[in-house]
Amino acid sequence: MSLMEFVFRRLAAMIPVVIGVTLCMFLISHAIAGDPAIMIAGPRASAETLETIRRTHGLDQPLYKQYFRYLSDISRGYLGESIRNRRPVLQDLKVFFPATLELTLASMLFCLLLGLPLGVLAAVRRNRLADHLTRLFSVIGVSTPVFWLGLMLLLLFYRHLDILPGSGRISVQFAAPSAVTGLYLVDALLDGDLGLFRDAARHILLPAFCLSYVYLAIITRIVRSSLIDSLEQDYIVTARANGLPEWRVVGLHAFKNSLIPTITIVGLSFGELLGGAILTETIFNWPGMGKYVVDSANYLDYPAIMAVALVSSLAYVLLNLLVDVFYALVNPQIRY
Amino acid sequence: MKTLKRRFVGAVLLALGAVFAAGAAWAATPKDVLVVGVSSDPSTLDPAVTIDNFDMREIFPVYDRLVQYKVVNGLGTTAVEPMAAESWFASQDGLTWTFKLKPGITFSDQTPLDADAVKYSIDRMMAIKMGPAGNFDSLDSVTVIDPLTVRFNLKHPFAPFLQVLATNGGSIVNPKTAKKAKGDDLAQGWLAQNMDGSGPYRLKEWLLGERLVLEARPGYWGPAPALKQIIIRIMREPSDRRLALEKGDIDITESILVDQLPQLEKNPAVRIGRYDGQFVEYVYLNNTRAPLNDKRVRQALSYAVDYRGLIDHVLQGYGAQMRGPVPSGMWGHNPKAFQYKRDVAKAKELLKEAGYGNGLTLTLIYSERRATWEQIATLLQSNFAEIGVDLKLEMMANPALRDRVANKNYELCLGAWSPDFGDPYMFANLWFDSQYGGMPGNRSYYSNPEVDQKLRRAAEAGDADERLKLYTEVQDTVIEEAPYIYLYQLKAIVPMRKEVEGFVFNPLLESMYNFATMRKR
Repeated sequence: MSLMEFVFRRLAAMIPVVIGVTLCMFLISHAIAGDPAIMIAGPRASAETLETIRRTHGLDQPLYKQYFRYLSDISRGYLGESIRNRRPVLQDLKVFFPATLELTLASMLFCLLLGLPLGVLAAVRRNRLADHLTRLFSVIGVSTPVFWLGLMLLLLFYRHLDILPGSGRISVQFAAPSAVTGLYLVDALLDGDLGLFRDAARHILLPAFCLSYVYLAIITRIVRSSLIDSLEQDYIVTARANGLPEWRVVGLHAFKNSLIPTITIVGLSFGELLGGAILTETIFNWPGMGKYVVDSANYLDYPAIMAVALVSSLAYVLLNLLVDVFYALVNPQIRY
Repeated sequence: MKTLKRRFVGAVLLALGAVFAAGAAWAATPKDVLVVGVSSDPSTLDPAVTIDNFDMREIFPVYDRLVQYKVVNGLGTTAVEPMAAESWFASQDGLTWTFKLKPGITFSDQTPLDADAVKYSIDRMMAIKMGPAGNFDSLDSVTVIDPLTVRFNLKHPFAPFLQVLATNGGSIVNPKTAKKAKGDDLAQGWLAQNMDGSGPYRLKEWLLGERLVLEARPGYWGPAPALKQIIIRIMREPSDRRLALEKGDIDITESILVDQLPQLEKNPAVRIGRYDGQFVEYVYLNNTRAPLNDKRVRQALSYAVDYRGLIDHVLQGYGAQMRGPVPSGMWGHNPKAFQYKRDVAKAKELLKEAGYGNGLTLTLIYSERRATWEQIATLLQSNFAEIGVDLKLEMMANPALRDRVANKNYELCLGAWSPDFGDPYMFANLWFDSQYGGMPGNRSYYSNPEVDQKLRRAAEAGDADERLKLYTEVQDTVIEEAPYIYLYQLKAIVPMRKEVEGFVFNPLLESMYNFATMRKR
């Protein structure tokens, strides 16, 4: 089977996955007690008003009918209208998803730029000071609660040192860039507005680091242990015996072979993060999917909840696919 | 190779330096810009749809209403004065209210604010039938008499009608917005995200989840506001808002946790405004269920609560025990009314009389809606234990809780209430008239025909003295019969930078601001 064929097969296999996810989400969110009509109209609305709302939103239909209507809607690319604010859900997602994507990309960048070198360093200097420090760094990362870390970062860099701005995506005196990708950093560059780019970059530093820290710690440890594994293989001994310089032994031969578990972790973390990181987004006031889904859940805003579930599960499945493709690229022995 | 590497490292360092170098940020917000830190986006900007103060915070500065709350000595009151209306009179029978409009008020596109605009807005609000229309139950129709005269015809006399016109349901929308309607949505889709009013401000931008900006509207009929721009920053986390306030990145913050106040107060740049609010918290007792259908049991529970401890410890002193349903600051409040005090012996005696001398088990439901409720529930549990009542606690999501109350499926429930308009009707009629049983207001399903009768008379009577007498009598009855446990009314806390001046607190407009008459030193 060629790689292309593999990709197509996997894409086709996504259809039942998506149907399964929507069905589960639909049943779970509708099993919660509570009447969205009351949430919309307010507690003092008359029975007649509630009835009208239920009718206009199709809430009076039997559950299976509501579900089929939903499936036919999403197959046409229509995600419904938010019960809470009457906006089309797609319009909201266009705002919140890019914010989460941008934050995720930035934190992945942190993971890779810091996690890979640290992991390599720890493996090469195994059981020496650098290794111990790196391990300490990752233990702290895995065990620090995100909300605490976020608050401390804000306190230190925003309040006391005063070198980074507070929460949010950009400062209030800047207008938002034209919405091309929805990623402010990219859009600011497209607009040629370096001041805005700088402001957006300063804003994303802390939340991205905060979000990445746990994954960074995990990646560092995975890289370390798999690199140590590789370094003990026979071909490394051979490479060394052949007099290859150490940086080529580690950097090319051992490192490449230790990448498989790393790619797995990066891919899965990426997918996980795309669903929105509620705590980080809350502390740094990042208007992403996490914040959106919490607000929607409080209102039993079914269309919005369903849409977030759909988008994040799609992202997860796609990233898994991407990870599999990467396996093949990194290791030519892997064939599908 | 080496130079390339060096260049790369140099470029990275340069980029990091550029990012870290401070500079672009404001040292403080400019004098004609006010930044308010709030906890969430408005859910809709349509005055005919929302009854949420967080939405009205943006709606009120943009739309005019016929009347507005009067400000006396820098304090907001519940009495009204003319806004877009110049004068008015009610017919003898109280069935028609005729308003003369101020001439020369226009919307941004020069459409005049005239009788047609008033009729359009009110008719639209009534047709949409959402929360705001709930206050206009008594309204039958609106008639245009001439361009500057409009008449409201009521189904039955309704004494607080003028008060109701000061609520957001009375906001006057540009009639041209009718063109923005999609299908039969009465322009709800458009007006949820846009505003078109004749007030001092207009909507400049709304970046979902980030900020909403109002700017002074050219051509406003009243005095031009000193604050040219209002930036509402959406900041979900209270500690984040506090940090930004202390740094001067925002000028006002809402909803700060009481335990953060002592620390905040130490900052000389910050002033914490404390005001007597009319937001009350109380316990619904399901009057239709045994043993709570027995007055003595309800009284016993009212005697069991340690009101003092609750206010001092949970609220850190930011509250006052209620004295009956109508809060202090609202006319009709009776400062001499009976107030339950903690009296364990009396409570036990009452329970014994009612046949529960060996104790009983009850369940309190509450939601996560207010941060203090967990503590209050626990406190009630220990208070009740002392009189032999085993209180089970059940926390649930707010929608689920509403469902339980709406279906009479509960025993005790923690609740909160704030008035939509300045009249004891909000606390008396809605809480006790049996026709409002359930979520509309009478959440304990209390039913007393004599009280019903008095309340209905009080709602229609034109004479203020007669109304006061009726409300005083009703309050005496419902305090004695204790269908609710009246806990406390909260103090409103508004922390702001010292340079902000002219803020007027109005208990009916909590979390809202009089931007047009505020300024910065």
